Amino acid sequence: MSEDNEKKLDRRKFIARAGKAAISLAAAGTVAYLVYDSKGPGPSTGVEEIVTLPDFTVSPQAGQTISIVKGPDRVKTVDKAIGLLGGIERFVKPGETVAIKPNVAFASPPMLGATANPELVAEVVRLCYSRGGAKKVYVTDNPINDPASCFRLSGIGKAASEANAEVVMPKDNLFKHTTLSGGRLIKDWPIFYEPFKNIDKLIGIAPVKDHHRSGASMSMKNWYGLLGGRRNIFHQDINTIIAELAMMVRPTLVILDGTTVMMTNGPTGGSASDLKRANTLIASCDMVAADSYGCSLLGLAVADLPYLAKAEKAGAGTTNYETLKPKFATVS
Amino acid sequence: MKIVQTRRTSQIFFFTLFVWFCIVSTVGEKFWQIRGWPINWFLQLDPLVAIGTILTTKTLYRALLWALVTVCLTIILGRFFCSWVCPFGSLHHFVGYLGSREKTTAQKIQLNKYRKAQCIKYIILVFFLAMAAFPSIAVTLQTGLLDPIPLITRSFNLVLLPIVDRTVNVASAMGRFYERAWLILAIFFTAVFLNLLIPRFYCRFICPLGALFGILGRFAIWRIGKNKSECINCKLCEKYCEGGCEPSGNIRISECVLCFNCRDDCKDEIISYQTQISSPGEITDPDISRRAFVLSLASGILAVPAVRLGNKLGANWYHKAIRPPGALAEEEFLSRCLKCGQCMRVCPTNVIQPGGIDGGLENLWTPVLNNRIGSSGCQLNCTACGQVCPTSAIRPITLSEKLGTGEFAEVGPIRLGTAFVDRNRCLPWAMDKPCIVCQENCPLSPKAIYTEEIFNTVREGTLTVKKATEKKIETVEETLVLGRFSTGDYYCTSEGGEGLKIAANTKNLIELTPDKKNGKIPAEGSIIEVKVRLQRPLIDIEKCIGCGVCEHECPVSGKKAIRVSAEGETRNADSRLLLKS
Amino acid sequence: MASAGRRAKVLESAISICLLALLFVTGVGIFIKQYNSDMSRFGIGTVTTVQPLQELQVISEEKPDLSSFVPAEFESLSETEVYQPVTLYEKINGKAPLYIEAGFEELSTKRFVDKNDESLWMELFVYDMGNVRNAFSVYSIQRRADADILSLFHTSFGYRTSNALYFVHSNYYVELVGSSESDELFKALIEVAQKIRSDLPVDDKTRIAELGFFPTENLVLESIKLYLANAFGFEGLTDTFTAKYNIEGETVTAFLSKRSEPKDAKMVVENYYNFLIDNGGVVKQAVNKVFEGKVMDFYGTTEIVFAVGQFVAGVHEAENQQAAEKAADILTNKLNNVMSNE
Repeated sequence: MSEDNEKKLDRRKFIARAGKAAISLAAAGTVAYLVYDSKGPGPSTGVEEIVTLPDFTVSPQAGQTISIVKGPDRVKTVDKAIGLLGGIERFVKPGETVAIKPNVAFASPPMLGATANPELVAEVVRLCYSRGGAKKVYVTDNPINDPASCFRLSGIGKAASEANAEVVMPKDNLFKHTTLSGGRLIKDWPIFYEPFKNIDKLIGIAPVKDHHRSGASMSMKNWYGLLGGRRNIFHQDINTIIAELAMMVRPTLVILDGTTVMMTNGPTGGSASDLKRANTLIASCDMVAADSYGCSLLGLAVADLPYLAKAEKAGAGTTNYETLKPKFATVS
Repeated sequence: MKIVQTRRTSQIFFFTLFVWFCIVSTVGEKFWQIRGWPINWFLQLDPLVAIGTILTTKTLYRALLWALVTVCLTIILGRFFCSWVCPFGSLHHFVGYLGSREKTTAQKIQLNKYRKAQCIKYIILVFFLAMAAFPSIAVTLQTGLLDPIPLITRSFNLVLLPIVDRTVNVASAMGRFYERAWLILAIFFTAVFLNLLIPRFYCRFICPLGALFGILGRFAIWRIGKNKSECINCKLCEKYCEGGCEPSGNIRISECVLCFNCRDDCKDEIISYQTQISSPGEITDPDISRRAFVLSLASGILAVPAVRLGNKLGANWYHKAIRPPGALAEEEFLSRCLKCGQCMRVCPTNVIQPGGIDGGLENLWTPVLNNRIGSSGCQLNCTACGQVCPTSAIRPITLSEKLGTGEFAEVGPIRLGTAFVDRNRCLPWAMDKPCIVCQENCPLSPKAIYTEEIFNTVREGTLTVKKATEKKIETVEETLVLGRFSTGDYYCTSEGGEGLKIAANTKNLIELTPDKKNGKIPAEGSIIEVKVRLQRPLIDIEKCIGCGVCEHECPVSGKKAIRVSAEGETRNADSRLLLKS
Repeated sequence: MASAGRRAKVLESAISICLLALLFVTGVGIFIKQYNSDMSRFGIGTVTTVQPLQELQVISEEKPDLSSFVPAEFESLSETEVYQPVTLYEKINGKAPLYIEAGFEELSTKRFVDKNDESLWMELFVYDMGNVRNAFSVYSIQRRADADILSLFHTSFGYRTSNALYFVHSNYYVELVGSSESDELFKALIEVAQKIRSDLPVDDKTRIAELGFFPTENLVLESIKLYLANAFGFEGLTDTFTAKYNIEGETVTAFLSKRSEPKDAKMVVENYYNFLIDNGGVVKQAVNKVFEGKVMDFYGTTEIVFAVGQFVAGVHEAENQQAAEKAADILTNKLNNVMSNE
């Protein structure tokens, strides 16, 4: 190789290197320009993506908003109650996906009535599949005790699976932060969101229970299960949080089970003697109305539960369920 | 004028400047106090700080833009920072020189040869950057543990300066104390003394910043190299080679720290700083295998969930990590805090302390308030820590934001935590001894500590009257301790009568204060009781901001009877105690 | 070759000089930068390491400017501090309830120092008590026993001690406290007092009628006190004035309190009587009386309580029953006069 060639090669190498250096400089400058932050972080940055739950309600039909069915057999009463509102076909269309949110708060056996009745849950799942033509039904809750134990011991896990529903247990990555517009308490708070993100319809199933802090736990209080984080802080203002839950969650249908009612020692109960048979089951598109009727099973008046009035004021429904012309029936 | 001489001047200049910045980091307006001295300048010039925070936060905070200057100069010139600017590098350089002074030329050449282990620093760099780079897994900024600038800043400010200043008291009127300074000291001196083994041990084997410069400088326009191939191979160029970069053979550009000693030592003037590559050829890439790279990357990524196994960012959050006012929410805080110690250095009350590992490994050397150290908790009217934080892990808040006044009235004050009274240790609660030190010292207005008044009969305070007048009661018992009841906190009650304040007592005589005399004179032989008036402290958790003054002042000096814990801190919504209404 | 070497050396020197110049510029830049400081960023101004806790004060601007009352040779020694009922205890600690119970609204306080002698300084306390009765109440209850009456005021609501002045001006209770007993300083205090009296706006309702209802004969000067509530430990005695009388060598405390209706007065008398009896009082026979009321022995002292029209009146804790009854008689006569004049 001649010296000339060598020099040329050197020169070419140098130009290549200088080019790369120039590109590096440009890249460093560009990155610095793009990420430059003259202000610095604010008091609370890094807020996760804020989401809101979809509205799952169906269009109202006069006189078919709430039904109250008497009878000891939940399978029969729930069939009847939904039937009176126009049947499950009105709520679930073929090919739709449905989430059912039973109250699975505690790892306690079905007989204690602290959780939703498994047969009732299974029957609703079956209705969704057989008559509603649902493509997929999910059963989900974010219980207070360990979720796996709750679903197992309450019998709901097994009953739901046997009816072909998919049980969705809470996991960290299923929670998203939400802020309720017009809300005071639900602000940038994690809620159990993912299972409800892509579904078409939402059905709540809750037993009627005495509740130490709020007076009564029924279909509105059932949505407490959607709250994540250190949610017990909300017990400081239980009436507002229940009312805000009623604003945040707009279910297709709620089923309030007063077949047996936990009259005392709620919400956990613990003894069969806490229960009383009331043989009543309510299906309603209006949670406030359902709970306003439901509280009478506990011997309470609407005025005893301030969250009812609050929810009504917030537009979540009416406490004056009579105006909805409830359909009554009895099945034995 | 020789370039190596200029290099030494530059090193002395920057080292002195660095020490000066450490000295002036005291709040005040004298020229040797903080004023407008850019005390964070070295941290801002440090591109590892900038790149680390860009990875964790996707932003480049204000003056960290200085790092762009360093980066650009490195891309053009090579690793100049290490031998010209870095105060830690200069220290190593000097100590390494002292350590090898007595050695023969051959030994020196041997000491400064290239070693395979020099790739360790790249592994460290990749490991730390991997910890910072993958938000889908979780990120944490740990570069500051080994980044030389935060390391030397921390070591000088929290260890050396307090030791030296104890004798002269320039940087602070009172001695400064830092918990766990021993560990900082141990690491610092280990790094310094390793130079006696191999010069610039830290720079060659450990320094992640050096590694970063090594990578950034690979396309440098000018580089050290031989300008012709005729070389007698005397290896004198390696006698004082600071980088251990083999200038005698195929020079390793990524290891060369531009000390220019090789050029100076080459008798034949073969070595120069030039645009063409060294005539025998050069090695630009760091000597790190693909396997080592992947391994360090993977372990860095997995290290974050690993250090977080303690769930210190979740339900098991560390309530003793009381962060300075303006600190970001914990996860964001950890993605910015360099552990440089500037906040701890500047804090006028010395209450900000380097944290330990009880709060998780990530908590190490991060700022945590210890109200038992320092002059008085977190001073109400001070915002110094946020002003000096180079990365805004502690935001530069204003006083009105801190106190929740003016435009921040609606948001309310910044709370660091909440004070809790330990009723098992508190003098009036547990021992029936009067004390309201915490209430008196609460700096808030209205105070967050209030008291409940109670009168309790003292031990052996049930006495029988021997003789009584309006002002004096003589007792049958002669067991009272002289003067014990004369503090104004003790009252004497007779059956059916009102409590009268005791003015003085001897062993069997109680003298009542004259200002009130509507009690009746107890009959001879009747029973009187000596009661102590207690004002038991209670906390108004809606008012308490967790400044820790009460804890600092509490006379129960060991485990304080009133202690601040981070519950209720405003920066983390999850640790709040109350719903905001 | 040699020339190339020399050229390299020259270049080396040139670069070195450039770099040194760069260092110099950096140093200068940093030196200039340090002048550019905004200490307010640190929130503590010029404060260095250790500093006593600063209390939080609201500086209110529409309040009377205390500096305007002070003679020209005095200058500010501290900022004006303003305290509201919630913060008052920060300034006067345990004495705060006394003021707050008496309707305290706001305290403005400030220190001034003599420009020529820094040992001479004074502190002004201007308590806005809402109305003159409240102001008089806190003034009268705290009045020092060894006080000299201030003759410079037309009203008698002022006195001096060796280093301080205390007086009521309209709804304000003012304390002017000097740092020493120097005459010079005291003169300045008097000046401040006069200035306050002439400059501070006066509320119209400055007259306290009850002060004129006490008979002046044998009255111990400046002994009238006003208890707004809980006089003598009895809840029912609100708005009660007490005055000391010197009768036959004995000091007797007389009191009166006006009600809106005579029947209210009667009821208070009855309740107070029962209160005393319940607490160990024993009914005593009056020796020689004009007043129509109750006389009691209360642990060796004499208590008298009676009603005259709208007035509740009486004598409290008299050592001597005769003197007590005499005082009660004098007070009865006076009150009867007052009634007939009204």
